[in-house]
Amino acid sequence: MNAPFFDLKNACVDYPIYGSRASSLKTTLFAAATGGRIAIETGVTVVRALRDLTFSLRSGDRLGVVGHNGAGKSTLLRLLAGVYLPTAGTLQRGGTIASLIDPALGIEPEATGYENIYLRGLLMGLRRVDIRSAFDELCAFSGLGDYLRLPVRTYSTGMLMRLAFSIATCVRSDIILMDEWLSVGDAMFQEQAEARLRSIVSEAGILVLASHSEALIRRECNKLLRLDHGSPSGIVSLDRPPT
Amino acid sequence: MTTTPTTLSANGTREQYDWTCTHSSLRDWLVGTLRYDIWLTLAGYDILLRYRRSLLGPLWLTISMAALIAGMGPLYSALFNIPLSTFFPHLTLGIIFWNFFSCSIGDGCYTFISAAPYLKQAPYNRSIFTWRTLSRNFLILLHHMILFVPIALWAGISLSIEMLLFIPGLFITMLNLLGVITTVGFLSARFRDVPQIVSSILQLLMFMTPVFWLPESLPDRSKVIMLNPFASFLSALRSPLLGQVTSLRDWGIIGVSTLVNLACAITIYRVCRNRVVYWL
Repeated sequence: MNAPFFDLKNACVDYPIYGSRASSLKTTLFAAATGGRIAIETGVTVVRALRDLTFSLRSGDRLGVVGHNGAGKSTLLRLLAGVYLPTAGTLQRGGTIASLIDPALGIEPEATGYENIYLRGLLMGLRRVDIRSAFDELCAFSGLGDYLRLPVRTYSTGMLMRLAFSIATCVRSDIILMDEWLSVGDAMFQEQAEARLRSIVSEAGILVLASHSEALIRRECNKLLRLDHGSPSGIVSLDRPPT
Repeated sequence: MTTTPTTLSANGTREQYDWTCTHSSLRDWLVGTLRYDIWLTLAGYDILLRYRRSLLGPLWLTISMAALIAGMGPLYSALFNIPLSTFFPHLTLGIIFWNFFSCSIGDGCYTFISAAPYLKQAPYNRSIFTWRTLSRNFLILLHHMILFVPIALWAGISLSIEMLLFIPGLFITMLNLLGVITTVGFLSARFRDVPQIVSSILQLLMFMTPVFWLPESLPDRSKVIMLNPFASFLSALRSPLLGQVTSLRDWGIIGVSTLVNLACAITIYRVCRNRVVYWL
């Protein structure tokens, strides 16, 4: 397997917002405290979510992304995941990706826990045989026992998060993208979850973690990217040896 | 908007998802198409979960269609003054296939809109979701087709060699529906009026297509409405099962529509594939 990498050169992401009347004078006059820059092009409101990102990540890099609400953290994660292609500039990537942006994606409330493991597993790109081989370990880790036979709509929020977390973390990947550090469940499960997350993160070549907590990022990452209205202020290396 | 292609290497291990290769639309389409385990499972659960807490489950699909046909058959046969044994099989297949067309296309509008959470999480091949819509509606069609068996037995329709023509008819219809689903799916994501426009057009076309009435009873000067491609596709599916042969004129219309339809779908897939996620 090749070493995972990211190379971004002047990458921009512009969202066209159709059907909005956001181009009012008021919003233009008063620069907003939240959100990216809003540009007006040919009558369509365009949100410039990310501007001129240039950086490279190599195996061993743990990049923390901080910024205010709407600064472009999630957009950056999606850009790295390949969801958005850069509207200008280029992005090159190598390695397999696990996107933990929303671990509860694709959970069907009417389906049982077992069925959701299959559904979610398939949507993460696993084959049926792979799911089957990881199945028992996954069920045991979730600690849900017989509840896995009941529809997920009967679960408490904590139980649902346990299930989602267990499924989302059963894949090993070269690159992990995370929106906030996943912390789920009661004290006991949180400890197990922390250990599991740490193990998949340590196996991955690259971690990109978006968070509001700088303390967390200083603990987990060796590089820091600060986003402000979609513009980067450059990557700062944190004095912490790469793990 | 100029989109510079992202270079993505497709060196995933066996158990990893082979993400969209942005260089080639065809490859992207094929990779999604070959993940039938994903789209068939999604389509199956779409139906299963809708009826999960009901006693009869997806059998309700069959029952509600039976109620519609049982209500309309005798009434329209009397109104049109056509013997029930001729009219009932005609109407049954007409309604079942029309339902397949219109529900596939109507659902097709929401193919990408309803897949927004998935598409915003990871670069899923877009074709996965078009196949999901088509296969869901095909599964519903199978539930409805059961009804034809007792009606054919009652009407005394015997097995014939012409019935084999149903297979190419079904194949080409599905291919065309996939094309239309792709086209309206992308267009609806960009222009949110499209689902409404499509449903109005389908409403109108239902009466312009011999779903209820017999094409023979059409006065000569109105024969022009038989140029409607839906009439030809309906004939390609219905005639073989009634032991009749689809006319060459119908196959001609089918051929031309298929070419136009697929050309549109391929163009739209290529142009919109990478942009659709910006519209969701």
